[in-house]
Amino acid sequence: MTDQVLEALQTSALARIQASASLADLEAVRVEVLGRKGTLAGISKEMGKLAPEEKARIGKLLNTAKQSLEQALERRTAQFEDAALDSRLASEWLDLTVPAPGIRPGSLHPVTLVQKEIEDLFVSMGFAVLSGPEVETEYNNFDALNIPQDHPARDMQDTFWLEGGNLLRTHTSPVQVRGMHRLGPPLRMIAPGRVFRNEEVDPSHEHTFYQLEGMMVDREVSVAHLIYFMKTLLKGIFKRDVAVRLRPGYFPFVEPGFELDIHCLLCDGAGCPVCKQSGWLELLPCGLVHPSVLRMGGIDPEEWNGFAFGLGLTRLAMMRYAIDDIRLLQGGDLRFLSQFGKASN
Amino acid sequence: MTGALDVTPQELGLLITVKTAEQEGVETVGAHLAMVCAARVVQVDPIAGSHNRKAVVETGRYGRRTVVCGAPNCRAGIVTAYIPAGCVLDGRTIEKAVIAGVESDGMLASGAELGLNRDAAGILELDVEECKPDSIIEIDNKSLTHRPDLWGHHGMAREVAAILERPLRDPVDLSVLPQGPGSIAVSIADFDLCPRYSALTLENVTVAPSPLWLQYRLTSVGLNPINNIVDVTNYVMAEIGQPMHAFDAATLAGETIHVRRAAAGEKMQGLDEQHYTLDEQALVIADANGPVAIAGVIGGLSTGVTQTTQRIVLESANFQAASIRKTSSRLKLRTDASMRFEKSLDPRNTRRGLARALVLLEQVSPGIRVVGGVSEATRELSAPAPIELRLDWLRRKLGCDVAGEKVRGILHALEFQVEETAPEVFRVTPPSWRATKDISIKDDLAEEVGRMMGYSSIEPRAPLAPVVPPPVNPERAFLQKVREVCTGQGFTEVYNYSFVNPQQAGELALAAEDHVRVLNPISSDQGLLRTSLLPGIVKNIRDNSRHLENFRLFEIGFEIHKQAEGLPTEALHLAAAVYSKAGDGVAGLMEAKRLAECLLYGAGVRQTEARPYEHTVRAYAVLYRDEVVGRVSELHPKLVSAGRAAVLYLDLERVREVSIVEGTGSAAGRGSAGGVGASIAAATGASAGTSTAAWVGEKYKPLPRYPSSSFDLSVIAGERVTVAEVEQRMTSLAGEFLQGIEFVRQYVGAPLAEGQKSLSFRVTVCSMDRTLSAEEIASVRARIIGGLEQAGFELRI
Repeated sequence: MTDQVLEALQTSALARIQASASLADLEAVRVEVLGRKGTLAGISKEMGKLAPEEKARIGKLLNTAKQSLEQALERRTAQFEDAALDSRLASEWLDLTVPAPGIRPGSLHPVTLVQKEIEDLFVSMGFAVLSGPEVETEYNNFDALNIPQDHPARDMQDTFWLEGGNLLRTHTSPVQVRGMHRLGPPLRMIAPGRVFRNEEVDPSHEHTFYQLEGMMVDREVSVAHLIYFMKTLLKGIFKRDVAVRLRPGYFPFVEPGFELDIHCLLCDGAGCPVCKQSGWLELLPCGLVHPSVLRMGGIDPEEWNGFAFGLGLTRLAMMRYAIDDIRLLQGGDLRFLSQFGKASN
Repeated sequence: MTGALDVTPQELGLLITVKTAEQEGVETVGAHLAMVCAARVVQVDPIAGSHNRKAVVETGRYGRRTVVCGAPNCRAGIVTAYIPAGCVLDGRTIEKAVIAGVESDGMLASGAELGLNRDAAGILELDVEECKPDSIIEIDNKSLTHRPDLWGHHGMAREVAAILERPLRDPVDLSVLPQGPGSIAVSIADFDLCPRYSALTLENVTVAPSPLWLQYRLTSVGLNPINNIVDVTNYVMAEIGQPMHAFDAATLAGETIHVRRAAAGEKMQGLDEQHYTLDEQALVIADANGPVAIAGVIGGLSTGVTQTTQRIVLESANFQAASIRKTSSRLKLRTDASMRFEKSLDPRNTRRGLARALVLLEQVSPGIRVVGGVSEATRELSAPAPIELRLDWLRRKLGCDVAGEKVRGILHALEFQVEETAPEVFRVTPPSWRATKDISIKDDLAEEVGRMMGYSSIEPRAPLAPVVPPPVNPERAFLQKVREVCTGQGFTEVYNYSFVNPQQAGELALAAEDHVRVLNPISSDQGLLRTSLLPGIVKNIRDNSRHLENFRLFEIGFEIHKQAEGLPTEALHLAAAVYSKAGDGVAGLMEAKRLAECLLYGAGVRQTEARPYEHTVRAYAVLYRDEVVGRVSELHPKLVSAGRAAVLYLDLERVREVSIVEGTGSAAGRGSAGGVGASIAAATGASAGTSTAAWVGEKYKPLPRYPSSSFDLSVIAGERVTVAEVEQRMTSLAGEFLQGIEFVRQYVGAPLAEGQKSLSFRVTVCSMDRTLSAEEIASVRARIIGGLEQAGFELRI
């Protein structure tokens, strides 16, 4: 008789545990069945009247029932706790695309970005980065670079002349001379910086712009080396192979001198308005260093050879970011400047 | 021009670009001439009520046609040019049209309409049919500044002959020049300015329009046909690059042509009818009465060739390039002649000019006769110096293997003399027209060979160079860090000009006379070099505040300071600004200070006297390792009227100096190894190769092993007492157990009196060897309080 009661009790309690909807429901079941004054406790109390063998047998059954109910309660409680945790977590959904509070990062100037990229490229190829002053002597800017006294570049209309006979450098080339004296041969150097030409400002002309001068001096430096190096450099800059063309160009500080053209990046040489249908863009004046310039730098041209080149940083920045008005670069307008390379990249 | 060559004009243009000089495009001239044909006017009838007439022409090619023509010289019997309907002329298609009631099938054309000359007065009257379509290759003249020989077609033909490996024909025959003394004397005052002057006198001259072929050729290259005599001088200039001039001999006074400097104030009216006043720098050609030409620039009007001229003196001279360029730029007069002379022309070309002109004049002015021989004054012309060219050197220079025969062939084609003095050694003599300034050393020959071989035929080769780390540039690493920190703190980089104007300087109380002055500024607005970055920054703030409510910007650039002699000094500075339209400016100043702290660990500020452009009481010196390295301040409302702008201005040179002292390990600052300053110190140390002392840092402070205790203190202080000041006082009072003092908050308001504030601090104490007792802690507290009270502070306890 007790067997059936116990079994029925266990079945109904398990069903109630399963059906319970909350921790409170469970607690009610526990108190009612397993509590000190609960049903199982009641049965246990009545066991005293039973014969010893029967008592032992029922006691075992009672224990089993108790354990199974406790396990069921525990499982069900864990289920409720998991569900509660899940629901709390679900309620904590966050839109992290909301901007982080506080200051937004600033931006670097587009010329700074391009300059850094190119400097890094040269440093990786063993070039020293040098700088020179913006105000130069006429000697360093012209004479030491083999630019003759009556060269049109020395006219008032191209150069900003300063009181005291000095001038604002018209190119970064004077740093070649400083670099040769400072480093001595063999050497590899670049010199980025601000240069000046006395020109009216319009969307495609500026009196203040940025160049990067490069020079390599070693025992064996030939036109073949120059071409190889320039191709490697351009591949580094444009991150792909670029078709190049070398043609004669006259610059007093190199001999032979070249204009290096690259296949137009927009049309790949097919011809478009940017390259004036020629398929080529004039990019990089270069050449073998003129023996007079080497001599002026204290280097014996019979023993050493070199190549030199000039990159227009302003031009590259404009190409890179498709900037169609050069005046924006010196304009200080944050609505323009804040569009480039946020923080460090 | 390329009709006789087996290469298209486009191909030839490309070859010239990669081997000689930049070509700017190929233009076909006279394409319409292919459709135009000669026509005999058969009959001309008036049209009632119109000035036009109806003409019937026999065209041969198109049969008999009827056209309407308004030209006054349209008359039966002449041979003129007929343009059929459908022909495109200057972009306009000629169509059949009804004019004055008569159908016109095509048109009769003037020389101007055909692009043959500039004659629009009437329809063409043809004597020959020698005007054919042709191509013009335009060369960028900036790519020819070093090549005087390419300023004439013959020079370019020599290049083309060398490129295409074809023979070159010289149009000049010197043997036509008459022998014997010239009929006029030439006197040159200074052979440096005029190495050679050659002249020829001719009589029985007929001045008339040039034949059509000559007009067509001049027109094609952009020269105006004027008359047969002047046209010949221009033709010779265009053909062999020798500028020439013709004087009317009857107008020349005296028997001698003088080449001399002008007297100051001497005047001459040019062929362009302008009056020129000369100075002693200018070189002139003069007769007994005065200047008749400004040498190498322009001829005089009163001695020029006119319709009535019967006798001429033909000038073919050579002048010093620099002198011509100076005169031409001083007079602001660039002519076809001056452009050529300023490139250093070959003095040997003067006689060639006369010889060529003589042959042409005999064609265009029948009956013309020379009088006497060539009149000439000349310095002795030195022969171009030979250059030794070793083929092994040449191969090393070009980086490719080139056969001696190939080198010889290229140089020969360009008319260099080549003599093999030893195996693989050439003795090369440049032609006179390349020796004026272009070719003088073996490197110049390397270019001749390289360009004619074609640079594209040189296989690129990797240079063999030692693998060595490049010398470190500490400035570069330093500036990169500065930029990273600035952008990280929200500042955007700007670049400003190096130029400022006196008003901008004045606003910042900078004296104009302290600036380096630009002698030839673009505008008076940009006449000074900046001695501070602030004028640019102030402008940036004003400009951007029109669009933005809040912003931060920075610039890194040079201050340029005048020196008594030599180059000015250039000092690198950082200027960073925080602008806010609203608010009391405190947040901006705090941000500016924080930027300084981020850049220079351990940096602090100290109140300092405001400059005229700064807020009267908001100016602070930036201290780094006990040295002043810059300022933080709010700009005075006079400069920035709407909103508030705080500026951090750092002398980066000073920062570097201060940092380097630290880097060599001498003056150890207070627990502050780090920041951008330290990075430059480290970099500098590395490049200077100093000892490891600089590399090993200070020993760290051990962590306490016993619990620490804290207590708060609130100090009542006057309005202008600083937190730093109170903190410093407390530190000195606290004694050995002090672990740290932290500023908690500031309070102003009731119950405090007006002009007072309460500053709260948390003081933390501990001992390294035991737990402090309550009494010990209380005694530290009492000592601080006692000391502060003694110094006149009241405490809220």
